[in-house]
Amino acid sequence: MGQEQTALLQGTLDLLILKSLALEEMHGLGIARRVEQITGGTFQVKPGSLFPALHRMEEEGWVVSEWGESENNRRAKYYRITKMGRKQLETEAERWGRISLAIAQALASS
Amino acid sequence: MSLARIRSFFRNLVHKPALDEDLNQEVSSYLDLLTAERMREGMGRAQAERAAKLELGGSEQVKEKVRDIRAGAWLETLVQDIRFGIRMILHNPGFASLVVITLALGIGANTAIFSVVYGVLLRPLPYAEGSQLVVLKQEAKKANLANVNFSPKEIFDYRDGNHTLQSVVEYHSMMFLLLGNDTAERVQTAVVSANFFDVLGVKPLLGRTFVSSDEDKNADAVLVLSFKYWQTHQGADPHVVGKVFQMNNRPHTVIGVLPPIPQYPAENDVYMPTSQCPFRANPNNIANRQFRLISAAFGRLKPGVSLEKAQADLSTVAHQMEAAYPKDYPREYGYGITAAPLQTELTHRARTTLIVLLAAAGFVLLIACANVANLMLARILKRERELALRTALGATKARVIRQLLTEAVMLAMGGGILGLIIAPSALQVLVKFAARFTTRAAEVKMDWPVLLFTLGASLLAGIVAGFAPALASSRQVFDALKQATGQATASASRQKLRGALVIAQVAISFMLLVGAGLMLRSIVTLERTDPGFRLDHLLTMRLSVNFTHYQTSAAGEQLSSRLLEKLSTTAGVDSVGLASNYPFSRQGIIAGPGRNSVQIEGRLVTPGQVPPQVDADVVSTDYFTTIRQPLLMGRSFTDHDDQKSLAVAIINQSLMRHFWANEDPIGKRFSFDQGQHWNTIVGVVADAREYGLERGIPEKVYVPEQQNGGATGGANRLVLRTSVDPMSIYPTVRAAIHSVDPQLAVDQVDSMERLQQDSLTSPRTTTILLAIFAGIALLISATGIAGVMALSIGQRTRELGVRLALGQSRSSVIQMVVRQGLALAIAGTALGVAGSLGLARLLSSLLYQTSPTDAFTYTAVAAVFLAAASLACFLPAHRITAIDPSMSLRQE
Repeated sequence: MGQEQTALLQGTLDLLILKSLALEEMHGLGIARRVEQITGGTFQVKPGSLFPALHRMEEEGWVVSEWGESENNRRAKYYRITKMGRKQLETEAERWGRISLAIAQALASS
Repeated sequence: MSLARIRSFFRNLVHKPALDEDLNQEVSSYLDLLTAERMREGMGRAQAERAAKLELGGSEQVKEKVRDIRAGAWLETLVQDIRFGIRMILHNPGFASLVVITLALGIGANTAIFSVVYGVLLRPLPYAEGSQLVVLKQEAKKANLANVNFSPKEIFDYRDGNHTLQSVVEYHSMMFLLLGNDTAERVQTAVVSANFFDVLGVKPLLGRTFVSSDEDKNADAVLVLSFKYWQTHQGADPHVVGKVFQMNNRPHTVIGVLPPIPQYPAENDVYMPTSQCPFRANPNNIANRQFRLISAAFGRLKPGVSLEKAQADLSTVAHQMEAAYPKDYPREYGYGITAAPLQTELTHRARTTLIVLLAAAGFVLLIACANVANLMLARILKRERELALRTALGATKARVIRQLLTEAVMLAMGGGILGLIIAPSALQVLVKFAARFTTRAAEVKMDWPVLLFTLGASLLAGIVAGFAPALASSRQVFDALKQATGQATASASRQKLRGALVIAQVAISFMLLVGAGLMLRSIVTLERTDPGFRLDHLLTMRLSVNFTHYQTSAAGEQLSSRLLEKLSTTAGVDSVGLASNYPFSRQGIIAGPGRNSVQIEGRLVTPGQVPPQVDADVVSTDYFTTIRQPLLMGRSFTDHDDQKSLAVAIINQSLMRHFWANEDPIGKRFSFDQGQHWNTIVGVVADAREYGLERGIPEKVYVPEQQNGGATGGANRLVLRTSVDPMSIYPTVRAAIHSVDPQLAVDQVDSMERLQQDSLTSPRTTTILLAIFAGIALLISATGIAGVMALSIGQRTRELGVRLALGQSRSSVIQMVVRQGLALAIAGTALGVAGSLGLARLLSSLLYQTSPTDAFTYTAVAAVFLAAASLACFLPAHRITAIDPSMSLRQE
């Protein structure tokens, strides 16, 4: 499914995940819930998109993972943003800002 | 690809099991967390687990998606697919070998033919910068002369007058006697400019080639040997350079050996510079602008000069010559010169035939692919459960298609490998065949471009054969899953696909069969063509006279008298004749009829008109009776037609019809030399097809050898009518010849029947190859039809059982099924007729007195096809009789 997703949507998901991880390291479900929370429930992240995205970002070197204990003593895999990840977050955020501004301007004109 | 991604690629490759285990745990821990979350929201354990699973959306699918995005996932998938493919193939060895063999036939045939096409038409010439080499041809357009020999003077004019060629070199070829150790040997000798090999860019294998000083009038005579002659006649002697032979009464020293390259324009045994040819070096001949001995000239374009520019430049020289020597180049001849690339010139005779054969082979491969596609469709039907299971376990549609395609390509690769094993033996036959058209045949080999072609053909065959079934099946499987019936049924769309494949097969096979049929009809017509004389019991051979022993024409005439007298009393010989050319001689077939301008007494040639052109041969008294060419009017030559009596001639019927249609030609006179000497016509003989059965009959005159220098005047070919098997008395005949003159060399010994058969070898081989292709195509298509029928009957057992149970008779059920099969065959045939009408034009240049739209051939082929199709339908339909209605109804 990964390739079918448009670059924009994929980029948006990456951006949201990186943003969630920027504050603290988190496990998969935590990330999903955080994204839902910070987007006010607009983005429902399904495991079918979350897992491929996390693994791809790990292969790109933006995040690293390690096993740890969850808040209620369950084994869970935790993801942490790397230096490269932060840089990516910056560029992505800037790009997104440009796009949203452009679209907002386009919609405002007429 | 980023560095991190490359690192991941290798990690994924090496640590795959660990990574998979990690992924398993991660997904299950996610599920745990999710369940815990739900339970915190107040759900019971069981309910929470179900809700969690629902939100996850299929753990296998999630894992599959992760695996798919991993770096190098494609490689892993490929390895998996191949591994699985091997298992499938091992599981169904019968199916696999059927597919491999079918494709091997197609790929093998294409590989062999492509080897020839590549070697002959496409491979760059093995000369340095071969694309710069051009062939020059003089022509007299208005006299319909396309290829006029050059005189030395003309060569000099073109060489010195042009501005676009680096050089112009000349070539002609003669037979000379080479006196080596003890025997007189005829060698085909090329007489060439000293810089001939430099212009070609050919470096010698041993010694050196000619330098300009070799061409000086008083230089020592030297020879360069061809690779082939060095191998076959000098035992590949590494010390051959420096060896001395006697030739034309002079010592000739070998200075070099050529590498194995195609020789242009023809194969020769040895090469000598122009100064050594007694004819070319004669000062009188050099001074004579009309002494057109040089049969080929070519040059090398200066760098950056286009062919068109060189052509224009050479034409300017031609116009200057025409203006300067109006007597030698009469305006009415339309004198000119053309330049053509050597590569095209070397191969144009082979082009049409090779392209036809390559197209035919391509068609066979297409048919094979269609058949394999059908086999795979049938195969996939049996694997539907497996495919459905794979889909349920997380395989995407693309993944299923890729799996099926990989299997098809693997089978095709197997076919390719087997094809490569078959190809060399087919290639041997093809090379011999191609050698009849072009000297480049010697270069044909299966090297890397050919292997690349085979690889490409196999890949393509696999994709073509596998794609349609894979696509159709994956769609089918998904539909079946959606319907959740658990059992996929044969869909109408797939049935349609199978039908379309069969129609295409039939159409293409039909076209091939029509091609083969047309060629067959053409060759049967050719074989039945009356040559105009009796072929059986004729022995033919060529003599070479050591000219230095027979300096005058009287001596030559005396030699032939003695020869004929001796041979006519030899046991087993009924009669014997001498001629400058006999029918179907190899040289005659290559060169075609000669064109001599004649002047007919009492007929004025109006200025601006080309004088009559005739073919002429020198023959002995008994020549016509020996070959049984009937005399129609007047008399034949007699022993009294000699130097002391009237110069006479016999003409053939075609010439008579042209010039004396309503009058008696006997006693009329004509002249070869604008009225200086006259020949009186004393007889008319029937037409003979001397230059090949497929060619027209030339207008022809015969003159007696006793008035034209005998055996040294050109009449150096013997024909003997024998009372026994002609080849069996050759030793006796040769002994008789050597008893007259031991230095007479004899070669090209053949029976006339063999010569006639040889003259038909090329069309016959083309026909046989096309027939083989068409036969394979027919067989493949017939099995294709039978396969589709068998499958459709197998799937319809229940329906047919119901029909039988309801009282429909077996024969009417069989008829119904056969009718469906025949409908496919008829549709294919109709398409094939349309295709053939379009494509047969390609063949027309290869056909003799056969129209490319010959109704008989089309009808016959259609009949053969429908018969084969009926059989192919009927055999599986016969199974219906074995259906037990009650059993078939209980099935499932």
